[in-house]
Amino acid sequence: MKGILGNRRAKENIAGYSFMFPTIVIIGTFVILPILYALFLSFNKVTLLGGVNYDFVGLKNFNRMIDDDKVWISLKNTAKYVLIVVPCQTMLALILAAALNAKLRGRNFFRTVYFLPTITSSAVLTLIFVWILNNNGLLNELLGMLHFPTHNWLAEPAVALFGVMLMNIYSTAPGFMVIYLASMQDISHNIYESAEIDGANAWTKFWKITVPLLKPVTFFVVVLGVIGSFQVFDQAYIVSRGDGGPNNSTLTIVLLIYKYAFKNLDMGYASALALLLAIVIMLFTLVQRKLFGDEKN
Amino acid sequence: MKKRLSLSLVLVLAFALILTACGGNNGNKGKKASESPAASSSAPATESASPSPSAEAPKDPVEITLSGWGASPEEQALLQQTLDEFQAKNPDVKVKYEVIADQYMDVIKTRLVGGEGPDVFYMDAFEAPKMIESGVLEPLDSYVTDDFDIADFEEPLVNAFKSPDGKSYGFPKDFSTLAMFYNKKMFADAGIAAPPATWEEFLDAAKKLTKDKTVYGFGAAPELARQMYMIKAFGGKLTDENYNAAFATPEAIQGLQLVIDQRVVDKTSGQPSDAGAGWGGEMFGQGKAAMVFEGNWAIPYLNANFPELEYATAELPTVNGQKGTMAFTVAYVMNKASEKKEASWKLISYLTGKEGMKTWTSKGFALPSRKSVSAELGYDKDPLRGALVAGASYATPWQAGPTLPIISTNFNNQFVSAYLGDQKLDAAMATAQETSNKEIKAAK
Repeated sequence: MKGILGNRRAKENIAGYSFMFPTIVIIGTFVILPILYALFLSFNKVTLLGGVNYDFVGLKNFNRMIDDDKVWISLKNTAKYVLIVVPCQTMLALILAAALNAKLRGRNFFRTVYFLPTITSSAVLTLIFVWILNNNGLLNELLGMLHFPTHNWLAEPAVALFGVMLMNIYSTAPGFMVIYLASMQDISHNIYESAEIDGANAWTKFWKITVPLLKPVTFFVVVLGVIGSFQVFDQAYIVSRGDGGPNNSTLTIVLLIYKYAFKNLDMGYASALALLLAIVIMLFTLVQRKLFGDEKN
Repeated sequence: MKKRLSLSLVLVLAFALILTACGGNNGNKGKKASESPAASSSAPATESASPSPSAEAPKDPVEITLSGWGASPEEQALLQQTLDEFQAKNPDVKVKYEVIADQYMDVIKTRLVGGEGPDVFYMDAFEAPKMIESGVLEPLDSYVTDDFDIADFEEPLVNAFKSPDGKSYGFPKDFSTLAMFYNKKMFADAGIAAPPATWEEFLDAAKKLTKDKTVYGFGAAPELARQMYMIKAFGGKLTDENYNAAFATPEAIQGLQLVIDQRVVDKTSGQPSDAGAGWGGEMFGQGKAAMVFEGNWAIPYLNANFPELEYATAELPTVNGQKGTMAFTVAYVMNKASEKKEASWKLISYLTGKEGMKTWTSKGFALPSRKSVSAELGYDKDPLRGALVAGASYATPWQAGPTLPIISTNFNNQFVSAYLGDQKLDAAMATAQETSNKEIKAAK
């Protein structure tokens, strides 16, 4: 009896693994192996041009970070970026979702319109925003009409990063909106009804029912938002034409990694920085789990 | 259960087969690519029962790849015409011309590392020392014959592609210096008769030409590529003998300060983005700057996009009583890993030779780096290009050893913030120098 059971389990295991085989191969080749390789690279000094060569240098690449001002500048920029973008995009997503969840006329039309930025290529969006943020662009025109001070949004170090933030909030909020919307529609009407009987108004219902019940979703959205924001690259790259200027104000950590990897061909150091980024993101996610408590389960 | 198992086994097998097939292909890729033309033509050869298939081989043209960055369609067409003429004269060589649209050096370096580099490609003088040092370029001295006539090139332009031990790794295809482009109508309206000859006159002119918020007297480019000659104007140096940054000296700053003061004190200079333009030529064309320092590339651009614009050129104003400008040049270089070096040299020697260069520079998109071609085409007497040609004799070439890419990035970052008035120039330059040297040291 036991033998037959064991045999069956083995067979099931084989079947299971065979079904997973293609995925395992693909993930192994394109995800696991590169991660291990990057790990290996980060402890080496890599020469690529004129003959590939690896020199084991131990922790030298990591020591180099401490002395590298650009690492700290880029981490500071990225942290600033995360701290502003994540709350804004989460709130905007929640507000948009709430608006669409209300029984409005032409809901589907607005859903499509709101969702468009997310499915537009980020390169195209960035170019459109480059025009909007241009010194003679739409934003300055509007600000000028309202008698607000105007800025050369992409050339002044003090405000250049805000331009990039604005772009990213605009393009990512709708994606999260859809996630919020889906879970809002899952909330049972009975709860709202009983609240109404108890005399709750729309505002109270939103804050006391909708928001608390969406907490797991908010956790998910914030985690994804933080990871995405830490990895911001394309907008900063296009805005600064790849160099993170003016005065390093749009230098994000991924842009810095790109510069070291492909401009200087310093793969060892770039891999070490990528590892640093991975650790930072993991730490942030752990902190968030603590903050949001166990209500997720 | 059994059915499922066998099904999955089939899937697994199929997948494994695909994988091995791919792997096999990859291994042979390099070989196959070079063999395929021979293989396709050997089929008719066996049909006619030719006894010597090896005799057939030379008839097949050798295909070599030429890579460059993108340019205007007119320029691209002219290069294609030059290549067509080359292929007509050399039926045994076929040139595949590839345009790398963006981030040229990043792409080229990555391809060279991956063993997929082109046979012949463009190399900016600015990046050349680093690439020569890394050993990926083929030294060309052994290919050069007397016919090629190296002495005919403008000397500083050839020297830009030599290694420290004097070997040539590339020959300049063309060059440009910077000249002052000025808007004739604005000059007439402001009552300025002649283009300014000295920096003092230039500052005065810029004050008269500036109209608040709409026209900047001078459209500046606050970056090292355009400002290196200002470092030299009062005896400053960009780097020391070990190629470490050494520009945070009073001499160097004295020259650069002139550029900063025009913006911060006089407020008569603006960068293209202040006017919503992408570069100086566009700013000038749109009438948002009365004067810009640009190169030959601006002439076809302005003529094509702003045909109404009335402008003229002059040599840059003298600084500290001396003439100065920048020179930019690009060479054709050969990939050391190329398997078709003979054909590659044929192409390089044609494109940089008297005949090919004459076609390539005939329409004035670029200035010839050979003296004989320049004299033949008469660019020194051309009303717009004369000032650019005149600059060649005293220009500072845009090159300063293998560390220049690092220095340039850090310089630009800090110089812009001084230009915008966010910090004092000497503090900015000290930071730029320190960061550069730190990075140079770390990269060693």
